[in-house]
Amino acid sequence: MLRRIPPAPVLAVLAALSLVVLPALAQAPQDVRIDLSKGGTRVPIHVEALAAPGRGGAPSSVDADEVLATDLDHAAVFTVTRSWVAGQQPATVQAYVGGKWVVAGGQVRLTGQVLDFPGRRPILVRDYAGPAAEWRSLVHRFADDVVLQFTGEPGVASTRIAFVVREGRNKELYVMDSDGAGAVALTRDRSIAQSPSWSPEGSLLLFTSWKAGTGPQVYVVPARGGKSFLISGRKGNNTSAAYSPDGRDIACTLSLDGNPEIYVLDARGGAPRRLTNNRAIDTSPSWAPTGREIAFTSDRGGTPQVYVMDRDGGNVRRLTYDVSYTDSPAWSPKGDRIAFVSRTSAGFDVYVCNANGSDARIIAGGGYNENPRWSPDGRHLVFASNRGGSYGLYVTDLDDRPARRIDTGGREALSPAWSPRPGGAR
Amino acid sequence: MMRTPRWTMLALAALAVLALVSAGCAKKVVEQPPSTTPTPPQQTPSQPSTPPSTPSDTPTPAPQKSPFSAADLQPIFFDTDMSSLRDDARSTLDQDARMLRENAGAKIVIEGHCDERGTVEYNQALGERRAQAARDYLVQAGIDASRIQTISYGKERPFDTGHDEAAWAKNRRAHFALQ
Repeated sequence: MLRRIPPAPVLAVLAALSLVVLPALAQAPQDVRIDLSKGGTRVPIHVEALAAPGRGGAPSSVDADEVLATDLDHAAVFTVTRSWVAGQQPATVQAYVGGKWVVAGGQVRLTGQVLDFPGRRPILVRDYAGPAAEWRSLVHRFADDVVLQFTGEPGVASTRIAFVVREGRNKELYVMDSDGAGAVALTRDRSIAQSPSWSPEGSLLLFTSWKAGTGPQVYVVPARGGKSFLISGRKGNNTSAAYSPDGRDIACTLSLDGNPEIYVLDARGGAPRRLTNNRAIDTSPSWAPTGREIAFTSDRGGTPQVYVMDRDGGNVRRLTYDVSYTDSPAWSPKGDRIAFVSRTSAGFDVYVCNANGSDARIIAGGGYNENPRWSPDGRHLVFASNRGGSYGLYVTDLDDRPARRIDTGGREALSPAWSPRPGGAR
Repeated sequence: MMRTPRWTMLALAALAVLALVSAGCAKKVVEQPPSTTPTPPQQTPSQPSTPPSTPSDTPTPAPQKSPFSAADLQPIFFDTDMSSLRDDARSTLDQDARMLRENAGAKIVIEGHCDERGTVEYNQALGERRAQAARDYLVQAGIDASRIQTISYGKERPFDTGHDEAAWAKNRRAHFALQ
């Protein structure tokens, strides 16, 4: 009944293929003796400090060492030890990860390599070069390739996170690398910006803004910065915008008929088609990655609950009966799961269930935990929480490790949205 | 909202000056009671920032009633998750409707607000419903719908930034501003 894209068997085949094909592409001796991680077990790897002739200079290879190790740790598929930390010498690991780091003439050249254990035979060797100012992106790309090598699917170190920063009474839209580096403001409207949502190839961000002074309207802004453009400024509320997976449509909440309903617009904001028709509040649409279904919130049953409907508005069904007062649905990028929040007496908890509503389980609780959004590989959720006092952004790997806080440089951060992979690659 | 204290100050200052002037003159200035007739439209807030002329320069007999401002309209409050009007909200709106009838030129914006419990997007919708509930009541009370705009701020502009029921109760409101 539920369409899972891509199906698990296809993924498994892809994973197996990549293990065979990719080492060959890397032109390294084919000696693959790596076990795919199964069911939550992590692969032990040892990250070695990058060899840096005349070690020093800017950017420092020491910084690159730590960015690499942190990327691999955050990928949630490895147990990482570091050669530069006392007491972390490997007893038995699956592989060494390291390489060479050369800075010259404003350029960085990283030769990344994965070696087998204990023979130190190359499994993956690849060069990355670019401007020294963008050195972090080279490290992230290598880390993502290491994850690809071990799992058949690239990591998400090269992705970004859009979010909202509270500045006094106002909120501005920001974007940063997914590890918290390089945060920049995309709006300086001295108004309220909210609900960022990425275009499928990662170049644009939809958001809600009150800057016109007549109520919330939907705008779009280039994710690398620039002027924002009005998408929908119709009478009443214009909120909760989300691109369809093919980028051709935008689902959003409009109240132009006096009641908040979910509509689908074309990508420029025109030709509204109404999907819901109910006296209740209907809002927060989240597309299935197939584009054939939309999860949304409605209080048609008395309190807010997450429902799922077909993309034409038909076949509406409540997602789960196991949890009451649910909201803020986020369909996983593989289509197999839906994250949402549930209100408690003490705030909000983050839950994840299967796309058919079964097996709902709590992922993050204690205080207000809001706005869960998936990483493009579906291995992580970013969410906003006030568990640390003021609001900040946290990432959970959906396992028993505690969620980690993203360093947003002291900014009070809310409403995160995780970007697709660069170029929208799946 | 910022205007109210300034107008109050100005009115007080005008009264003080008048008191001095009248004390200095033998002629008695009779202070008029607040007018019960509707304020003429030209005195309604098309130019609210124009300062009143100083009484010492002109023979204005008495301070005028301060112009109608948003502060003359009282906010109403809602129960958790609700946009239906409580009894206290209805009686408040009855007074607000009277003020609007007496100031027929006033055009207003009703802002709908929510407490922090609830998601951003749901509260945007709930705030709109609260503003609409207040609007619908005023329209039923005879206020022309063309004088009323509504705008939802969701949970984005709390009046009390606290995190307890006392703060939340203040933040679940429909609040009036002038267009």
